[in-house]
Amino acid sequence: MTEQGLSHARLNRDVLRTLTETGPVYWWALGLALAVSLVCFFLPWGYQLVAGVGVAGMNRPLVWGMYLSNFIFWIGLSHSGTLLSAVLHITGSPWRRAIYRSAEAMTLFSLMVAVLFVFVHVGRPWNIYWSLPYPNQRELWPNFRSPLLFDVTAITTYLTASFTFLFMGAMPDLAAARDGTTGWRKTLYTWLALGWRGTEREWHHLGWAYTFFAVLIIPLAVSVHSIVSWDFALSTVPGFHQTVFAPYFVVGAIYSGTAGIVTVMFLLRKLYHFEAYITEDHFDKLGRLLLVLSLLWTYINGLELFTGWYSGSSAELETLRYKLTGLYAPLYWAMLLFCAALPLVLTSSRVRHSFRSMLAISVLVNIGMYFERFLIIATSLPRKFLPNTWRDYLPTWVELAILLGSLAIFVSLFLIFVKLVPSLSIYEVKETLPHGKGADGEGPP
Amino acid sequence: MSVLGLFARPETALAAAKALTDAGHAVSLMSPYPIEGAAEALRLPRSPIRRYTLFGGLLGFSCGFGLAVFSATRHLLPTGGRPIIPLPPFLLIGYELTILFGVLATLLGFLICARLPAWRERPYASETAVDKYGVLLECGADGEAEAETRLRAAGAEAIRRGGELMPPEEGT
Repeated sequence: MTEQGLSHARLNRDVLRTLTETGPVYWWALGLALAVSLVCFFLPWGYQLVAGVGVAGMNRPLVWGMYLSNFIFWIGLSHSGTLLSAVLHITGSPWRRAIYRSAEAMTLFSLMVAVLFVFVHVGRPWNIYWSLPYPNQRELWPNFRSPLLFDVTAITTYLTASFTFLFMGAMPDLAAARDGTTGWRKTLYTWLALGWRGTEREWHHLGWAYTFFAVLIIPLAVSVHSIVSWDFALSTVPGFHQTVFAPYFVVGAIYSGTAGIVTVMFLLRKLYHFEAYITEDHFDKLGRLLLVLSLLWTYINGLELFTGWYSGSSAELETLRYKLTGLYAPLYWAMLLFCAALPLVLTSSRVRHSFRSMLAISVLVNIGMYFERFLIIATSLPRKFLPNTWRDYLPTWVELAILLGSLAIFVSLFLIFVKLVPSLSIYEVKETLPHGKGADGEGPP
Repeated sequence: MSVLGLFARPETALAAAKALTDAGHAVSLMSPYPIEGAAEALRLPRSPIRRYTLFGGLLGFSCGFGLAVFSATRHLLPTGGRPIIPLPPFLLIGYELTILFGVLATLLGFLICARLPAWRERPYASETAVDKYGVLLECGADGEAEAETRLRAAGAEAIRRGGELMPPEEGT
């Protein structure tokens, strides 16, 4: 065997090992995540279904609450995976190869969790089919002028496209898993790989199809979070009614999604010993991206404050006052600290090359971004036009538990994913290995 | 019938596949990752997937915009003098379905062009998903020996015929 052969074989072994070798830590983590999902998400949701949506803290004028903050947060978190993967594929960035599979999975699972919140929020999820266009005896059709219907269309498209993009990109590796496993896994991968053999015809058409997917997905991802922003911006509520909301949401989504990728990459690298494949260089590149996004996000945040103030409208000014000094002011200033000030340390190359620092920053950025999503709702709706309707919003234990439970569902889905699908793109990492170099024990360049 | 030659290096496999194609043989190249120049060497035509994508996109736009118009005209809902068929929101629905149908049509196009799914038995060597490069040479029932000779002459280090991986000959 050549040195190259050893290195390629090692890559296959390293990745397939993550599917077949399962330690007790994994089972404990999965068990805990599933238990928390049940106790904190499904049981409280069941309680809400029985007792009514009144057990959540939503009431007039706050008919939207934490559930929709969670919806925006999870949609936002979904935004870097597929989008980043598609952009880096189009631009031919080689550092994408080691990280994109997990990032795309993150997109898919974040979207699934986000969609769950639509069901939780509506109170009577068994009527959700009313939002779908289908012939019915009442001859009632959904109102396609509503941004909520834009949401249904955009998120369905995004979920379908993200799943397809992930599946197509994983097909060659599913074939490698088919060849490298036995038992029920072999049967599963035989079906999933669709008979892939890696012929030049298959690679040729996959390359074209994958590029078309990437081209289609980039505008789609931008449109999805723009549309989510219009759920707010197309209303006349002070604090919502801003033209900057679409770019604000898109930048925020890519920002939190990129931070999410850093967190996931850190964990994958540590738990699966992918040190040879996910390197300091990846974290450096992601750190640079985070820095640029934090500056963009900070600028748009400033713009949001400025346009509110410059409007001179008393309702807008009251909303601003409430946001900056009201009940949730500590969350607002914490958000600025985590998302605007703290990421400035990423100007330092030493910080970008430190795995632990990058993990800490990525987690804090996402905490800040959750605050941002929460504040959009919790500081705008309590200060609508009529002062006699003003009321502070406090989430109940049901909403807080469901938030925690959603995180556990995401973790559960991801843990199941890493045991079923190669979490690192074998064939694309192989492309970075120089022929005849990279002896066993060495990592890719 | 076919004979599969396994090569250690991509450039050798590509050169062999190109030479055999130029000599008029039906050849397939198998590799663990896409090899640059393989499509040109094996004279693959430009992928027709783009036509599927275009057709899917156009169909999606028509369906999305048509659905919005159809549903708005089934039950008229005049709101503040605004048009019954407003362009900005309806174009948005058309846009989203353009992408949805475009993605699904691209997937369909890929499956048709790559002739997948194919769960039936076909010549294959699992090493080509790891670190080997395979050249599959189609031949007649009595042409296996000749095909094997051609592949060995082109640098194949092992031959797979009839599901058996034959040991390499001395000196190859």
